[in-house]
Amino acid sequence: MRFPGHDDRAWHVAWNPTRSILASCSADKTVRLYTYTSSASEPNTLKFNYNTTIPTGHTKTVRAIAWSPSGKTLATASFDANIGIWEQEDSGEDGEKGEWECMSLLEGHETECKSIAYSSTGTLLASCSRDKTVWIWEVHPDADFECMGVLMEHSQDVKCVAWHPKEEILASASYDDTIKLYLDDPSDDWFCAATLSGHGSTVWTLAWEPEQGQYLASGSDDHTIRIWRRLPGQGELKFQCIAVLEGHDRSVYSISWTKAPPYVSQQAAADGQRNLGWIASTGGDGTIFVWELTLGDNEDAPHIRHSIITRIDAAHGVHDLNSIVWCPRPGMEGTFATAGDDGHMKVWKVQRTEEVGK
Amino acid sequence: MAFSGALTLTDLNDFITPAQACIKPVEQTNPVPHHASEGAASTEIRVDTTGSYYEVSSNDLKSGPNAQKKLQTAEISLNDCLACSGCITSAESVLISMQSHTEVLNFLANNPEDICVSHKVPVISIAPQTLASLAASISSSSKAQPVTLQQVYRRVEAFCKTVLGFEHVYDTTFARHLALLEHIREFQERKSGEGQLPMLASACPGWVCYAEKTHAEMLPFISRTKSPQQVMGSLMKEWLGLKWGKSPSQVYHVTVMPCYDKKLEASRQDFYNDVYSTRDVDCVITTGELELMMREKGWDLSKPVKGEDSDRDPAVDGTILPELLDHAGSSSGSYLHTLIATLSHTSPTPLELTVRTVRAPDYEEYILADKTSGVVVFRGAKCYGFRNLQNLVRKVGRDAGVQVGRGAAGRIGGVRGRGLRARKAGTDAVQDTKYDYVEVMACPGGCVNGGGQLRPPALSDGADAEGFKRDWEADGVKLDDDEFGRIQGQNAKWGDKEWTKKVEAVYWHGHGLPTPPPSPTLNGVPVGSRATNGHVDLKTERAERLAAQVLNEACKPKDTLVSSWTENMNDEAEALRRKYFRTQYRAVEGEVIGLAVQW
Repeated sequence: MRFPGHDDRAWHVAWNPTRSILASCSADKTVRLYTYTSSASEPNTLKFNYNTTIPTGHTKTVRAIAWSPSGKTLATASFDANIGIWEQEDSGEDGEKGEWECMSLLEGHETECKSIAYSSTGTLLASCSRDKTVWIWEVHPDADFECMGVLMEHSQDVKCVAWHPKEEILASASYDDTIKLYLDDPSDDWFCAATLSGHGSTVWTLAWEPEQGQYLASGSDDHTIRIWRRLPGQGELKFQCIAVLEGHDRSVYSISWTKAPPYVSQQAAADGQRNLGWIASTGGDGTIFVWELTLGDNEDAPHIRHSIITRIDAAHGVHDLNSIVWCPRPGMEGTFATAGDDGHMKVWKVQRTEEVGK
Repeated sequence: MAFSGALTLTDLNDFITPAQACIKPVEQTNPVPHHASEGAASTEIRVDTTGSYYEVSSNDLKSGPNAQKKLQTAEISLNDCLACSGCITSAESVLISMQSHTEVLNFLANNPEDICVSHKVPVISIAPQTLASLAASISSSSKAQPVTLQQVYRRVEAFCKTVLGFEHVYDTTFARHLALLEHIREFQERKSGEGQLPMLASACPGWVCYAEKTHAEMLPFISRTKSPQQVMGSLMKEWLGLKWGKSPSQVYHVTVMPCYDKKLEASRQDFYNDVYSTRDVDCVITTGELELMMREKGWDLSKPVKGEDSDRDPAVDGTILPELLDHAGSSSGSYLHTLIATLSHTSPTPLELTVRTVRAPDYEEYILADKTSGVVVFRGAKCYGFRNLQNLVRKVGRDAGVQVGRGAAGRIGGVRGRGLRARKAGTDAVQDTKYDYVEVMACPGGCVNGGGQLRPPALSDGADAEGFKRDWEADGVKLDDDEFGRIQGQNAKWGDKEWTKKVEAVYWHGHGLPTPPPSPTLNGVPVGSRATNGHVDLKTERAERLAAQVLNEACKPKDTLVSSWTENMNDEAEALRRKYFRTQYRAVEGEVIGLAVQW
């Protein structure tokens, strides 16, 4: 499935967690919204409709977007160093939902804002920038925000921020080849609690294992994806790299982690293993990989197994892929969207048989 | 991503060097080459192994090294940096070489004998936070008795006079006294309608630089009163120097500050005297640099000097400024607290002060209300640290109804109808929480934790939190530099907070005040008001008299002499007061457009 594209490269896609909306953002400074429906007769098919374009008003590329967990608010991160907070006007007389309006503008970054993420409860918003900082904002009522922390831990451009799926732990990835993890000291400020080194080049992207958050995946300019396991321990944060996924022959720009559809985890359980879900990855080689991760039943000496279950070459023709995101909504397992330098967004579905739907 | 397909120039760039936004071109002084017409553009740039750049004409490629022309390295002066929106923080490395202790030593070594006309009187002024840092360092590094600020001050004075050859040594507290007086005066002007509220403190150059660079909308709120350093500069060059019969350019004035950004402050064009081609403060060094100088010269600061415990008799010499005046409140200058004390004293009805911690001790609100009616007469705050500063800027912008930010906000602003409407509904509530005054400092913990202060001594010898030294290598732990840095960094994180508390304690202890610092009492003696309870000590009284004397001598009111800072003078004299004790701010030009940067 493919949509009329942006006028410039498409940077990022985001599935609304509660409503049937898919958003994409682009160097053309706009956000495009699409709605989708699935038909009862063809359960494997989604029907997409172009909904609207938010012109945003950002003066430069909109690099990343994030939906709040409630699905009501959309945050935009732009190269103009600002973050926009968008909400849809209340329904009018005719019951139609209104225009998307900028409710708030978060300023503070000095240079290009690269990534943005809401915490699992939606009470915190994190952003990062080429200015080497990571900012944490507390979300207040009436689209008001309070700055909770400015973390200057990285020595270079920060590419990505990702919140733990359950706890208030923030991870950031940087051009300095490291990943940093942050915690809130309730009596004090946010602080960097751990640094993960191992990648041989820029770390572009991060994804937590969505169920328990016991694992963190990172994609790098060194063409690999690393899987980090959180070591048990009260009050401290320690991670160990337990797997390196090799397959891409260019930079890994985006990864996304989802739980596998029920039939897959059931099969794994029957084989005495635990399915840890699927990681979709893509990047400068234009190829999409879907990796299946399983864990042996020996929890003490965890050994993670990974296998490629899908590979799509030239997913956007000759173009780079900038973003890959699984749909997080129940019943949508196996569906993901990609955005590429061609300005297009595509939606894919991993199907039970060997065939891959477009 | 960036290099796929054809390489295209967008607004993206991932090059990170401090000079990325530096747009100062190399000045070409070379004469026009005589054969400019033939194959004009055919030159190449080559880099040799030493990193020097050479321009090579491609016609001459084979004609050997002589055809190469060594290219000039771009030199960026502090002034270029100040005039630019680029990289104020990385400019620190540039200015360290321009305003450093070696610069001071060079000057002193080359200063002609005092019989020469070109001789300059070397003067050094030391900030009280610097003395606190030094005192804390001595007290913790030796088993010696804790030392007071006065003792450290005498020892530093002895070092500066006997070893370095400074003719005069002062601390900056009298200048701060004047700054506080003028600060209060300015607040009252603003309160009566001349200018906007809230008034935001201006003594922190880090904050002022940041506001000029990224929050121009805050500039009208920032106090125009000069910082103690710059008041000291004016005093030295426009008043004391004249008393010595020296013109401003015949005085070489060094300050010692807890803060690197004070170097930027001293370099501002506003503090440059065009007539005499001299700065009010010629060179700023940090506490750390002073300590380094003492170490280099083998001066032991833990050794007492003669007479360090006795007060000086000010009657002996009329030009000696009162020493180590205390201003109760905060260790960052007590701007908020002196204002509160003054307001309480001048209020016709008794006032009650409530303090509320907004977030940690670095962000507190101070509310003065009428004791009987409960009506709020003053709402102030102290707000330290970059994080709190962000929220302050947002709050002040919101309360005052000004757009926060660099202008992108304006462009998006057009579409934020509902957000604004929603907020308008709550305007009354907002009205109630508007600040009148905020003591803003960029460093968490304030000036005692300034960037130029000494690091905790435990850190330098690798001892851990409990004071044990650990030999990592001997324990079989191999550390590369990075890891070692990280371990030290962890200690630094622990150490910094504890250390700041210690310096803070010494700061107050050294003043003979109880620790922890007293919260401002309404009985405190406000700066600039005559004693009503007969409690003003001699030192303060003398400072008040001297303040009036400074006004009379520097501003020369014609008709009648003033007897206190609060009195008004004639227009001409008031203009001079503004010249000597106020300054101005200007927004730094907008962001550099990526495409305009020449690589």
